[in-house]
Amino acid sequence: MHDIALYLHIPFCRRRCQYCSFVSFQGRETDVPAYVAALEEELRRRAGGQRVSSIYFGGGTPSLLSAGQIAGILTTVRTAFAVAGEAEITIEANPGTVDRAYLSALRAMGINRLSLGVQSLDDHELALLGRIHTATGAREAVRLARDAGFDNINLDLIYGLPGQTLSAWRNTLRRAIEMGPEHLSLYALTLEEDTPMWRTVREQQLPAVDPDRSADQYQAAEDMLAEQGYRHYEISNWARPGRECRHNLGYWLCRPYLGVGVAAHSFLDGRRLANTGSLDAYLAAYSGGHEPALEMDEHIGPDLEIAERIILGLRLCEGISLEDMPGIDFGQRYRRQIAEMEGAGLLEYGDGRIRLTRRGRLLSNEVFWRFLPEPAGAH
Amino acid sequence: MDRPLDRKNIRNFCIIAHIDHGKSTLADRLIELTGAMRSGDICNQVLDSMELERERGITIKAKAIRLDYRGADGGAYQLNLIDTPGHVDFSYEVSRTLAACDGAVLVIDATQGIQAQTLANVYFAMEHNLEIIPVINKIDLPSSETGQVLDEIENVLGYDREDVLLLSAKTGQGVPDLLKEIVRRIPPPAGDPGRPLRALIFDSHYDSYKGVVAYLRLIDGHIVRGDRLRLMRQEIEMEALEVGYFAPDQCPVAELIAGDVGYIATGLKNVRECRVGDTVTWAHKGAGEPLAGYQPAKPMVFAGIYPTQADDYHQLREAIDKLSLNDASLSSEPESSPILGHGFRCGFLGLLHLDIVCERLEREFGLSLVVTVPGVSFAITTTGGEQKTIVNPSEFPAPGEIASIEEPWVKISVITPSKFIGPLMELVKEYEGSYRHTEYLGQSTTGGEMGQRVRLEYEMPLRSMLTTFYDQLKSRSRGYASLDHEFTGYREARLVKLDVLVNDVVVDAFSRIIPPEKAHEVGRAMVDKLKEVIPRQLFKVPIQAAVGSRVVARADIAAKRKDVLAKCYGGDITRKRKLLEKQKEGKKKMKSIGRVEVPKEAFMDVLKLG
Repeated sequence: MHDIALYLHIPFCRRRCQYCSFVSFQGRETDVPAYVAALEEELRRRAGGQRVSSIYFGGGTPSLLSAGQIAGILTTVRTAFAVAGEAEITIEANPGTVDRAYLSALRAMGINRLSLGVQSLDDHELALLGRIHTATGAREAVRLARDAGFDNINLDLIYGLPGQTLSAWRNTLRRAIEMGPEHLSLYALTLEEDTPMWRTVREQQLPAVDPDRSADQYQAAEDMLAEQGYRHYEISNWARPGRECRHNLGYWLCRPYLGVGVAAHSFLDGRRLANTGSLDAYLAAYSGGHEPALEMDEHIGPDLEIAERIILGLRLCEGISLEDMPGIDFGQRYRRQIAEMEGAGLLEYGDGRIRLTRRGRLLSNEVFWRFLPEPAGAH
Repeated sequence: MDRPLDRKNIRNFCIIAHIDHGKSTLADRLIELTGAMRSGDICNQVLDSMELERERGITIKAKAIRLDYRGADGGAYQLNLIDTPGHVDFSYEVSRTLAACDGAVLVIDATQGIQAQTLANVYFAMEHNLEIIPVINKIDLPSSETGQVLDEIENVLGYDREDVLLLSAKTGQGVPDLLKEIVRRIPPPAGDPGRPLRALIFDSHYDSYKGVVAYLRLIDGHIVRGDRLRLMRQEIEMEALEVGYFAPDQCPVAELIAGDVGYIATGLKNVRECRVGDTVTWAHKGAGEPLAGYQPAKPMVFAGIYPTQADDYHQLREAIDKLSLNDASLSSEPESSPILGHGFRCGFLGLLHLDIVCERLEREFGLSLVVTVPGVSFAITTTGGEQKTIVNPSEFPAPGEIASIEEPWVKISVITPSKFIGPLMELVKEYEGSYRHTEYLGQSTTGGEMGQRVRLEYEMPLRSMLTTFYDQLKSRSRGYASLDHEFTGYREARLVKLDVLVNDVVVDAFSRIIPPEKAHEVGRAMVDKLKEVIPRQLFKVPIQAAVGSRVVARADIAAKRKDVLAKCYGGDITRKRKLLEKQKEGKKKMKSIGRVEVPKEAFMDVLKLG
């Protein structure tokens, strides 16, 4: 049996951010104890002696849970699964929700990686995003985490905000680098439909995002981080050598993972599954003593599997090995796509691997869709 | 109709009017009053049988109906009403309808007075020596200005006010008097039942059971079912499979006699064999001389019609063939375009005709069409001395190969309150027209601040009327101006072909023929619009407008730089993949111009750009 990665979804937030379209609930904090109990029950139900190589508390805002609740969940995990001794255990935290004692408690229970949702180090931008913390608060959180013994810290940042200039972005990034994180995740703001920020932009209360400026910001980040010795190992992720996020790498390498909690996704035995996105339905299933409903259960056939391996693998800056693809002559089957994308300067070939070019990383969707199989029934 | 009626008791007439002045409503009322149909059977506008005609309130095809009328003198009269299309595009059909009549009821709207097509219709009727009965309709409306309209009729048309009937087709007021006047003023048909048959074909339609059904006005002689007949100009023989009249459905009878209006079923397979304007006579002992016919209508406006889906080409071909069976003035030639695929270059009488044909193709045949910018037919003499007729801009020769170009001109007649003379003069100048003549019609019917009503006459190239001219005319006259036009002939022109190149590839569908001094302005507009609607590609795309090798406008679409999905939330790979699948599907729906992919809607937007 393969090692699996374990994802735990904590779908609570003190306040939803203006841009967020993820499954998370505001004003449901009274449901936290019941949810923790349900989550632990799901862990027990789905455990079958698997070896767990990484654990990831994602959200929402996992740091809304008390240290005791997190510890309880971890204990359940350790009881139900075989957690590797060197397992990477990450928790996402909002800088506005942590203090010294809390962080020390997390570290003490074996959590060895902290991912802070900093997003920006400009207070105006933080207000625009609807974050509950300030730039100072973010710096303080990092300092406290160091004091608590975290030596593997990630900062999430968002670029491409409405009206954000290139120099404003450079400032945020420079300040973030000064905080000395081991890992940085930089995400382009995506205005998902029906989020408050999407509406504000549509109503022209905020300027539309200029994609060229976002591209400039991304490339500026690539240059600044390379200069500072961060390795660009995935489209949106940079790390000090050896500090790549093992849990997330599992996604890109098509390794199996188990997700528990509301809306959590799993990839097990060639199936992609997702739990119900309804908190009420999830809690009701627990009270009723049955398994939460699946929102998705999809078998990944051989064609799709190859496409996913390519698409996910190309997100990694090391690219994919042509020999790695099971059962097919990769170079032959995708000769046309590879040639076209090489010609357009989006893919490059070398050492038996293909990878995105600097330009290709910003236009990765244009590369990826070309590798999708034709939909069933079409020829 | 067993015993033939005395010829003296027949009246053949039509109703002529500017659009919306109430022609079809009046026809309904006449039908109802004479009992040709019970009022319950009369859905509005009986004679406008096509769905499209009712919806748009226009008559497209001519039709006939026989009305039985008991006169004041107690005599039984047969009134043959022939409905005429009201739009200028179909003035040719009006003229052939008039040839079948001895009189015309001229309808003028009491709220609008004389309009451009009122005049055009009156002149037509006069040319055919018809007895005209002017009537003012809609006198029941509060906004009617009957007195002023009477003044106009006196001043402009020269009728005595006493001879003008006042009525409301809607309420029926005054309509019985009109029936009396039709009998009193319109002469009975001339002609001789004893002479060899001469019958004028004034319309036709194709019936899948009876073949071509020809609409006839018999001048001399008679037709009995089973007669062997001959078309005098086409030299085609046929048999009268069925003989009848319209009530308004086809009513078979044994015989039609000189003076009658009716139909024969010919068994012919195509309306083109049975030309409107031709004379029908007996195959044996027929007439020596045909009746004066009329020139067949020539298509004046041309456009490419393509199916949106290439697979629908054969369906489109069949649909056009079917429409052509009933529409002799619709022409079509197969053509193909690198961008649009296979389609047809079709010829139309005018823009309304084009519009109606396209709407019928889409509606009655369920087709989705791409229609290129309408243009005219150019007569070109090449430097090599060759004569060419060009109806597709992409075939327009290069500037160096052209010795001379001629293009069709029209005389346009605009009736407007004098207040708008200035803006309309400007408008016509912008559209390359020139002023000819002004005529004052009398006081405005809409109040003093509009000034007097005037008729303005201009000449302009038909080409420049085909874009936004009519919309502009309406907007600059706040809807008051009415327009009529008439083809006057070809004139020498100075024109060039403006090509649009997307990524250095000429897009034939966008080529248009314009005066050289407009090349820059038109080219700029096209280029800017394309820049707006073409999505950014993986490479820089230059868009150029050019006359020959001279670029008159250019814009570059910068290469796309960013198209990337952000955070993969909690391992939700499927959502990402679905977005990519959507992107892939979207690409399939694009039209390719060389390597450039353009959404079809964007393409259509630019095609619509006047």
